[in-house]
Amino acid sequence: MISFWDFFTDPVLRAPTWGCILMCFASSLMGVLIFLRKRSLLAETLSHATYPGAVIGVFLFAFLFPAHEEWTFLAVLGGAFISSLLGLKAIEWMEEKGKARSDAALCFVLAVFFGIGIVAASAMQASFPVWQKQVQMLLFGQAATMTDIHILIYGCLAFAAAFFLFLTFRPLQSTLFDRDFALSAGIPVSILDRIVFWLLLISLIVGIRSVGVVLMSGMVIAPAVAARQFSNRLQTIFGLSALFGVLSGFLGNYLSVMGSLALSQSGEKISLSLPTGPMIVLVGTSFAILSLLFAPKRGLAFRIGRILAFRFRCLQENLLKGIWKKGALSFPQIKESYPVFLPVLSWILFRMRQEGWMQKKKGLYELTRDGKQKAASIIRLHRLWELYLTESLGFQVEKVHRTAEEMEHILTPEIEERLTRLLSNPKQDPHQQPIPERYESLLGN
Amino acid sequence: MNFSFEADALNVNYGKIPILWDITFQIPQGQMVGILGPNGAGKSTLLKAALGLVKPLSGNIALLGQAASRARKKIAYVPQRESVDWDFPITALEVVLMGRYGRLGLFGRPRKADKEAAGSALELVGMSAYADRQISQLSGGQQQRLFIARALVQEADLFLLDEPFAGVDLATEKAIIELLRRQKQQGKTVFIIHHDLPTVEEYFDWAVLLNTRLVACGPVKEVFHRDNLMRAFGKGQLLFDEAAALSAKSLSGIL
Repeated sequence: MISFWDFFTDPVLRAPTWGCILMCFASSLMGVLIFLRKRSLLAETLSHATYPGAVIGVFLFAFLFPAHEEWTFLAVLGGAFISSLLGLKAIEWMEEKGKARSDAALCFVLAVFFGIGIVAASAMQASFPVWQKQVQMLLFGQAATMTDIHILIYGCLAFAAAFFLFLTFRPLQSTLFDRDFALSAGIPVSILDRIVFWLLLISLIVGIRSVGVVLMSGMVIAPAVAARQFSNRLQTIFGLSALFGVLSGFLGNYLSVMGSLALSQSGEKISLSLPTGPMIVLVGTSFAILSLLFAPKRGLAFRIGRILAFRFRCLQENLLKGIWKKGALSFPQIKESYPVFLPVLSWILFRMRQEGWMQKKKGLYELTRDGKQKAASIIRLHRLWELYLTESLGFQVEKVHRTAEEMEHILTPEIEERLTRLLSNPKQDPHQQPIPERYESLLGN
Repeated sequence: MNFSFEADALNVNYGKIPILWDITFQIPQGQMVGILGPNGAGKSTLLKAALGLVKPLSGNIALLGQAASRARKKIAYVPQRESVDWDFPITALEVVLMGRYGRLGLFGRPRKADKEAAGSALELVGMSAYADRQISQLSGGQQQRLFIARALVQEADLFLLDEPFAGVDLATEKAIIELLRRQKQQGKTVFIIHHDLPTVEEYFDWAVLLNTRLVACGPVKEVFHRDNLMRAFGKGQLLFDEAAALSAKSLSGIL
């Protein structure tokens, strides 16, 4: 049985574990930069553009040094580096000289380079069938065969990325936020660009080994997307992104090993295994999806919650207004004028009694003194807004009611103050209805 | 004394379409200068060319008697407010601090003095209460004040502002113009791309009227009159634009 700690210490298991963790750490840091520059597709294109170079690298290596298969990874790294560099030059050339749109150039380079890679790989199948496995592996990665030397390489890369970010954090932040200003102020933007790009390229290339060409960009972007949901501080975003990256790297590898083990013991005839690279990316994207849904403030669930709370408040305020105008309403009357799902309506009425806005006497809902005050202040906003639209913006009187219906729930006391001053504390709305004063009931009118 | 802004036979193209065409003018230091012209007249491009952000096709442009790349530490540039992503994770104080990174270099960390300067600049534009706010929580006027504060901490001799009053409330506009006047009183030069013609005579000493070509450049009293405005904002330009577009198409083989 494999214990948890074996993943970090066992001579066979530790290399994939540490390798994946360090690789994900570096790529998730670089991902924040790419994501905030809104160039996420660049990572996708460049990782695909590594493939033809890697294939041709293996091809040449097999041709020149057929006896040293264990050193193939050097050929992979070198080839991948050259071809993704060519890919980048092609993109820049198309954007500048060809005036191609950025997304078109990115997609074009992605498709062409990846296509060449696939063709080269199948050509290889014919001439060097034994080596083809090496090339096939690059598509979706193969973490299990990593060795301690990989830990060393990935460790150096992760350290370099983190150290670079630490040193140049401020100028980098400025450049990402306001590029023209940074250039005008003499911040060395082009040097920063170049370093960021080289680090991104290196992290993509080493990532190919564990996650693969096809899925690598997911590992760059997903942790950054997740982290952005939780914070408005760039430092925190970097930290969280690194954390999500490390967790994905570890959990992906862990689940792959344990899952494959469980599947092989289940006694099925066809032995299934969970590949590491896709597992890492799945964990990473799960973090991203969960964050998009449930992160406080920015998450979808919270936004829906806030929308519901706002609707609830609107209905409550409309009820107050309705009862204020009529003096008192019975439940059937309310039901008729406010076609809302019945339990919701009953709940709102119950809440409003609880909160002290209204009371029920002989089956009729009436406003308390506080309720009347609140209703009057809503009516005031409504009529102020109508007056503002007709007086200051020249709207026709018949057309102002509908937007005022909406704005009465929106206007803040500060805007009310400014409206009052602008219209010099008016007493009548455009329909010749009185505008209630502020704090009318407290003032004793 | 050097001129604050010199352009000599300046041509700037976007692709084959001319944005600025044979511009030559000189403006002395210590002035408030309004750059005026209709949309698409090349006003922003003129500033960007001066800063070296846009490469001219031909001609020369100099700030304070030097190429912009040599004068960077003496120039404060305020880009259009819409040109940046206001959802970016950065606080108000950090934006103002950016004004100091140009001189701190690649590995520079802001020193205590830089932070205090940024704090004072925020106070000067009436924003100290918002120092730690994320910038998306600020109103349009507050965002513009932030940019002005950033320009102030640069301690520049020349200010180049691209539409600082676009989408800004009147109180902010007055506050900004007051701060810039104070800079002028210390002998600094201020260039403002401006849209609101009625305030031109109140705000500026000099005016540059631009519509792809230079219409006029000189003290406001001399150049800001009906004839020049008609030439800058009138429809006479249309024919030129059409011919230029036609020529661009012919040259690139579309026609």
